[in-house]
Amino acid sequence: MRTQLKHGFAGMVMALTSICAFGQCPDRPATGTVVADAPSLVSQNGTLAAKFTMAQSVDIYGYTHYCYKYASGSQIIEAPTLRLNPGDKLGLDIVNRNNADAEMMKMAMPPAACGDKGMATISSTNVHFHGLNVPPKCHQDDVINTLIQPGTPGFQYGMQIPSKEPPGLYWYHPHVHGFTEFQVNGGAAGALIVEGMEKYRPEVAGLTERVFVIRQQFLVPWVPGPYQLTINYQVAPFLGGGPIIQMKPGEKQFWRVANATLQDFLKLAFVVNGKAQPMEMIAMDGYPLGQTRLQKVISIPPAGRAEFIVQAPAAGASASFVTESADTGPTGNPDQAQTLGTIQLTDTATGGWHAPSPAMQADPGQLKFANLSEQTPMTQRKLYFSEEFGGTNGPIQFYITVDGQKQKVFDINEAPAIVTKVGAVEDWTIENRALETHAFHIHQIHFKLLEVDGKPAPHQDLLDTVEVPYWEGNGHPYHSVKVRMDFRDPNTAGTFVFHCHILLHEDLGMMHKILVEP
Amino acid sequence: MRIANAFLAIAVIVCLAGSISFAQTRYVVTNDDIGFPLPNGASFFSVGANGTLTFQAQVNTHSWGIGGGYFGANRVLSASDGQQPCVYISQAVSGSIAGVAVNTLTLGGVASGSATDTGQSNGIGLVTQGGYLYASFTDSNTIATFSIEGGCSLTFISDTVVTGVNGGNINAMATKGTVMVVTYTDGSIESFNIANGVPVSNGDAQLSTATVKTKDATFPNEIQITADGHYVIFGDTSTAVILEVSDISSGKLTTTKVYGSQNGISSSNILLSPDERVLYVVDTQGDAVTAFAFEKNSGTLKYGCKSGPIRGQSSSWSYLVHAALVSDTGTGGGVYVAEFGATSGIALLHFNVANGKCTLQEDSASPFVDPNSTGLLSIGIAKSQ
Repeated sequence: MRTQLKHGFAGMVMALTSICAFGQCPDRPATGTVVADAPSLVSQNGTLAAKFTMAQSVDIYGYTHYCYKYASGSQIIEAPTLRLNPGDKLGLDIVNRNNADAEMMKMAMPPAACGDKGMATISSTNVHFHGLNVPPKCHQDDVINTLIQPGTPGFQYGMQIPSKEPPGLYWYHPHVHGFTEFQVNGGAAGALIVEGMEKYRPEVAGLTERVFVIRQQFLVPWVPGPYQLTINYQVAPFLGGGPIIQMKPGEKQFWRVANATLQDFLKLAFVVNGKAQPMEMIAMDGYPLGQTRLQKVISIPPAGRAEFIVQAPAAGASASFVTESADTGPTGNPDQAQTLGTIQLTDTATGGWHAPSPAMQADPGQLKFANLSEQTPMTQRKLYFSEEFGGTNGPIQFYITVDGQKQKVFDINEAPAIVTKVGAVEDWTIENRALETHAFHIHQIHFKLLEVDGKPAPHQDLLDTVEVPYWEGNGHPYHSVKVRMDFRDPNTAGTFVFHCHILLHEDLGMMHKILVEP
Repeated sequence: MRIANAFLAIAVIVCLAGSISFAQTRYVVTNDDIGFPLPNGASFFSVGANGTLTFQAQVNTHSWGIGGGYFGANRVLSASDGQQPCVYISQAVSGSIAGVAVNTLTLGGVASGSATDTGQSNGIGLVTQGGYLYASFTDSNTIATFSIEGGCSLTFISDTVVTGVNGGNINAMATKGTVMVVTYTDGSIESFNIANGVPVSNGDAQLSTATVKTKDATFPNEIQITADGHYVIFGDTSTAVILEVSDISSGKLTTTKVYGSQNGISSSNILLSPDERVLYVVDTQGDAVTAFAFEKNSGTLKYGCKSGPIRGQSSSWSYLVHAALVSDTGTGGGVYVAEFGATSGIALLHFNVANGKCTLQEDSASPFVDPNSTGLLSIGIAKSQ
């Protein structure tokens, strides 16, 4: 892997420069225009079926775009929002038309692959339904064995949203080990909403709903340098006029924000006349909160989601949607403060989705994981993040290790680092022994945040991604979080992964498998 | 108890060393490792009272560095050309090695290896022995042999192609007598016979013990060889502090013994004191330097002491890299350490022994800013005549 990094880098540059320059992805919105939500595809009669074509192109500034294209009549829509209800069936066909020179970068895949055969390359793809509590099976949410190769007829995903799936914001993105960062950097990510939030949080009923997907693009992934954040594909520049978010004066809106960046720890704030305003928190990582709470800053690690209510000021005020700077440690990435969108107050504000009025309230106690606090963990585990730097440009190794095991990077053919059984409830302490902040994520389940640095977490939310702050160095303790894992659902049976959701780290092996035996 | 005795003896040597005066000017020299479009250079800092540094001059090498690369490849080398002291500086992007005359602080010769030699990604390391200079080109995996010529110049002789057991790139080198030892990024180590100038493998390439057996992820990086050629010490790039020692008295590397401490994060760079009783270990990603007591008769290491946090981590620098000795005798009196960062600098730590216990303390005037480098990895010592 160490040598693969070096050769991979050179190969990556060549591969990206060899991409066909003709525009296969739709044009993205110009900076300084009104931000529009992605069009929604809504399930009908319990089913949502769609076909996406994954493609790529290079824009006039040299950024490589990867896109999920959906044909709606003669119109091509990029990364539509998928809207389903608990119990609905999702059928998603993926056709891969990536065209980078795949020979430049490739990795071996296990022989019993799902989908197409062959090596995983920079042009291979698959889909992870981030946060959904669906089985880690072929054609559902398997990322270990599934490959969709360019030029093949395609691949069919088919799954049923669990009847007790929490309503909220999820997202989909490619997850081919070694190459995830390239495709997500290119914009291959979209929102998936499980409907029904108003049944659990009536505060949102009737409000205009906005779905903002924050993405991040580097000219060349893996190369440190300036980056751009985008909001619904519109670049938010560090300076100058940026995206415009329209609201009616005084209007309350329900915002659903996905952090689909490669590595940016967002610290969101809604600023009016220079002061951060309280935002009413509704849900985190697609799970409605037991009680709403007011926050002036909402922290979302890479891959996390936050859903909250903001209120526009009265006419004449100035307002903006910003992310504050995040300190990610001595070897972390500089996550800078910047405006994501300027609020334009207008009586004719349009756009967004309208959440229905609640037909009836639902019992949050019936949602998955609802009673997790009351469960007694059967097993305690300790895991830790660590890094090994042999030079400023590498070899750099990123590890997540089960305490007691040897530190090693992920190998697609490895045996699971953790083996447990359906029915297990476990408490995991995840420690950060590296000098940069990491984002822990596990597939297939939500977990409950219990403790931070050995003390009860101020907000014991159900999450699927959690920030683990960096180690300050010699003489300081390691920061940690303690989370409760719930493997009681038979749907969790199978092999899946846990990893850091800084995508470079994931691609370089800060990931391992867990096997949940039936 | 053995540690106490060792440091008591060291203390005596320190006192003796303190009475010696030097006629020549002593410099700490940096490879500023400046990249295109600005030319690279070597900055010379004169050593003043108590080891403090004063910037004197930068010698332009009219070549380009890279401002980064492997921690183990030392890019500054002091060597005599037979007539005068020289400092050789490698230039990663230009693929060249520049000689600087220390007496006049002027550029001597600039030499390149073969057409295939390249270290553009991770740098070019330098070592010397017996009138030869060896350059490790970390991308092409070649060791270029040069003869050192008058005027601080070099003449290229030939390349030796090398590679780690599992395909790793050449990382660090060290020489002593007729032996050269190298490390590779895959965790392997290998020795070479350099009796006839050009390195010839001794056929002992092997993965280090820590690479294979410890739970920590680790691979050997910088190397020290004892003066009698008996032991080779490796500082490991690791998620902890890992040191390894191999007995090479047979002429071949033997299985390494592992010494370690969780109290740190990586130990890529190490430096043995002149009396070979103290091993300075730079905590590459942490903010400290550790002193281990080295028993040169048995080749064993024991923890001695650790500095406090060195000023400026994160705010000024992100890695501690190569070290150079404060003094040429005894324990070395402490170390200078290169601080890699946008404001690169040099830390000065004093080593002392009292009542059988050692201390490593940063000088109140430390760090000394290198005004010419934003990516300092390598420093060395040079003395004018």
